[in-house]
Amino acid sequence: MRLTSDFIGDIPRRKFLQMSMKGGIALAATPALMSQLMSCRGTQDISEDIKMDSQLLDKTIRRALAKGGEFADIYVENRVSREILMEESKFKSAVFGINQGAGVRVISGDKTGFAYTDAINENNLLRAAEVASYAATGSKTTPPVNIHEQERASFISVQLPLEGIADERRLEVMRRANQAALDYDPKIKMASISYYDEIRGRTVANSEGLLVSDALPLLFFIVQALGVGEKARHLSRERLSRHSGFEMFDDVTPEDVARRAAREAIAMLEAKDAPAGIMDIVMQNGWGGVLVHEAVGHPLEADNIAKKIGAFTGKLGKKVASDVFTMVDDGSLPNMRGTTNFDDEGTQMKRNVLIKDGVLQKYMTDILSAKQINQERTGNGRRESYRHLPIPRMTNTFIDQGKDDPEDIVASTKDGLYVQSLSGGSVNPITGIFNFTCREAYLIENGKKTTPVKGATLIGSCLDIISKTDAVGNDLAFGPGICGKGQECEVSAGQPTVRIKGINVGGSQARRRS
Amino acid sequence: MNQEVIDYRELAEKLIQKCKNKGADEAEVLIETGRNLNLEVRNGEIETVEESSSRGVGLRVFWGGRMAFSHCNDFSNNALDNTVAAAMDYARTTTPDENNVLPKDEGATPVDGLHDPEIAQTSMEKKIELAGLVEKLAMKDPRITKSAGARYGEGESETIIANSNGFFKGYKASACFYGVSVVAEKGEQKSSGGEYCQRRFFNDLETAEKIAEKAAMDAYEMLDSRMVETQKASVIFAPDVAPAILGGILGAINGERVLQGASFLRNSLDKTIASELLTIIDDGTKPRGVASKPFDGEGVPTQKRVIIDEGVLKGFMYNTIVAKRAGVKSTGNASRSGYSSLPGIGPHNFYVAAGKSDPEEIVRATKKGLYLKGVTGYGINPVTGNFSGGASGFWIENGKFAFPVKGLTVAGRAAEMLNGIDMVGSDLDLNKSFTAPTFRIDLMQIGGK
Repeated sequence: MRLTSDFIGDIPRRKFLQMSMKGGIALAATPALMSQLMSCRGTQDISEDIKMDSQLLDKTIRRALAKGGEFADIYVENRVSREILMEESKFKSAVFGINQGAGVRVISGDKTGFAYTDAINENNLLRAAEVASYAATGSKTTPPVNIHEQERASFISVQLPLEGIADERRLEVMRRANQAALDYDPKIKMASISYYDEIRGRTVANSEGLLVSDALPLLFFIVQALGVGEKARHLSRERLSRHSGFEMFDDVTPEDVARRAAREAIAMLEAKDAPAGIMDIVMQNGWGGVLVHEAVGHPLEADNIAKKIGAFTGKLGKKVASDVFTMVDDGSLPNMRGTTNFDDEGTQMKRNVLIKDGVLQKYMTDILSAKQINQERTGNGRRESYRHLPIPRMTNTFIDQGKDDPEDIVASTKDGLYVQSLSGGSVNPITGIFNFTCREAYLIENGKKTTPVKGATLIGSCLDIISKTDAVGNDLAFGPGICGKGQECEVSAGQPTVRIKGINVGGSQARRRS
Repeated sequence: MNQEVIDYRELAEKLIQKCKNKGADEAEVLIETGRNLNLEVRNGEIETVEESSSRGVGLRVFWGGRMAFSHCNDFSNNALDNTVAAAMDYARTTTPDENNVLPKDEGATPVDGLHDPEIAQTSMEKKIELAGLVEKLAMKDPRITKSAGARYGEGESETIIANSNGFFKGYKASACFYGVSVVAEKGEQKSSGGEYCQRRFFNDLETAEKIAEKAAMDAYEMLDSRMVETQKASVIFAPDVAPAILGGILGAINGERVLQGASFLRNSLDKTIASELLTIIDDGTKPRGVASKPFDGEGVPTQKRVIIDEGVLKGFMYNTIVAKRAGVKSTGNASRSGYSSLPGIGPHNFYVAAGKSDPEEIVRATKKGLYLKGVTGYGINPVTGNFSGGASGFWIENGKFAFPVKGLTVAGRAAEMLNGIDMVGSDLDLNKSFTAPTFRIDLMQIGGK
């Protein structure tokens, strides 16, 4: 049996994949538009075609602003994805997907009109523009500027392009992870390996004259391991994700990911019930940064600030956190999961210091909220797909490096909870009340990490915890995640080891008081 | 937006034939088309109008016991040919499994009231007006200071499934919803609240007065909330927090997780796992039910099933492949989140059956405890049965609401919680799909000061 094939249909596979990247199967339906738009970066000899396609984009934007409005944009997307699942040592399913479409948006004051189409042709684009334009009916039109292509710095380097990777290599990394998880300990009874990659081609054009496009590769690799003890079971999880080529697996091997998952599954078999009540917590470096992502990041997204209902409304320039607390959102960190070359509105990605030494510096904006709160565009206008409106979203969000030695932080905590990893959490951006579920946690007794405890919830309010953060380590690290806010997007969250004094822990065991 | 009319039967037959021509033993076609409208109103002004239509096709192919899937949203011949080829190409990568089969045709369950043609006929003005009205009414209370926006949304879809066992079936469905979110402020305090109503039929939507009143109350009644001491006490679950319990049970009765040993209920079939007051039902057949459908994500007819009968676990949930592996029949629980997804396992209208107690009587009968109005977190962990969540609501003293509480936690183990249910209310609202009446658990750990 041949596991790889050089052919898809009648097209040689490599050629097919190249085309996929440039617009893929859209070629069949819309020969001129998609293929050229998706490939216009870095090529000089097709300028005539771009011009023709630019004319259609200009026409769409003009139609969108025909009834009024100060801003219009069009977002064209083509996504080719592969998803393979291995469970119980079997390749259970493999999914290949191609999705394409375009969304047209019109902004007039605080009003937004939006429509999208799956089929990309002149008729449908103009019809989407027409539907989107109703929201602006009767307002004054800001005349659109004809689009011209603009360069954007690239933060995503690729050595082994996904389109050149044979499927056998995808299967191989999964087999290796599966084996490494099962070999880790006989108590690991099952591993679940999920592999996902995609290439998302994007083109953004707007009435300010912007035209940018690129193709973003994304890899997402998840290992879950089921540990079975005499009395307890634990399903662990470890994730690896980057916007990069297949070289990601040379840097962090599938075995590394699997062993980390297996280690957690075994460690937690011995977990006791967690204590209940208010305690000091030490959060290990890495994905624990999801705590600030939720508790502080979401409330700093400017949409709720523009509505004057967000928890941080009116606090710009004010002291909101302890002196040791600096928080950053940076969509330009090379190849990270939250990184893109430009956001889904075409704004350049950059490092945004949100809170510096405890003082609130800026909010995260998209084009609409930047205008509403009269702040710069920070490159946080993101969308799940052409079917969604862009909204302010985080990219790679983290507590910045501190000065403390992580070991000293634990040693100087008499009693508390050491949170090694979190499953995830959520926040109410208006009240700032957040919650998290611990994935792996240990008691701290007399300055030492001791007994593992079962998944407990941590809750509190955002303004409270950032003023209670009293130690920040020098070991900044990141983890990949999926952020949901009515629509999903890929993010990283990070932090050094930190200590938060006094957070409510939802264990099932009354706490021994000393 | 209009799209050209396509004969879906012809398309489905053509695609199945194309898969067979490429060597597939069996093939399945899922076609979904739909349109959506979303309106947002804030401070009396229309803020967002989103309108769209979309469609797509998912192809599942079986070749020598191997299964693969591909999907695309371009219906041109060339694109469809490539989608077929991609699925067949990917079928070479998976592991053969004798359980990889498609269902035979067993018809469909007649379910009334899935599609309301009136929704599309109702004017845009009326829908905008409805969102505007619910916001205006919610803002009437002086304690409500800001609107976080009112929303109206609707969708219509058509789902078609055909497979090489010779069936072709489809149905149309509609849904509409509206509601509002508001903020109550008092000094530095902020409290948010909201209420939404979703129905299959436009005329079944609740009145704006009712929704507005609940949204406003949800926000202002949590002002001046406090913390209580860490302690054990009774916890009353309001209907809105039912998912905290139901989610974990759902994960634990997933037939595949049971086979894998990743379920705290894996050894509990036909055993008592809960108080005899607890009955849980999964019903795909309820007329006008928001999660009802004539057949599941693979075309297997839906049914009404008792999952937990007076405390006894009566069955797990299966799709066709997992059922074959377990040596049982599919329960009609193949779930799909659209044309781009493989069949998983999921519920229809999943709820705790109504009990006999008046919900107010449950509060009156509670000497000391927590009336749980909001719970955050993942609910019961389906693998371990461990439960922990953030909690807010009212503190009860001597059968009365004493004061609002927030920033608390509640925790326990599924076995103790389910067996600890000692009162179940009569206030079940079956217009919701994932719900329960008010119920009480005699003792849980509450974390606070």
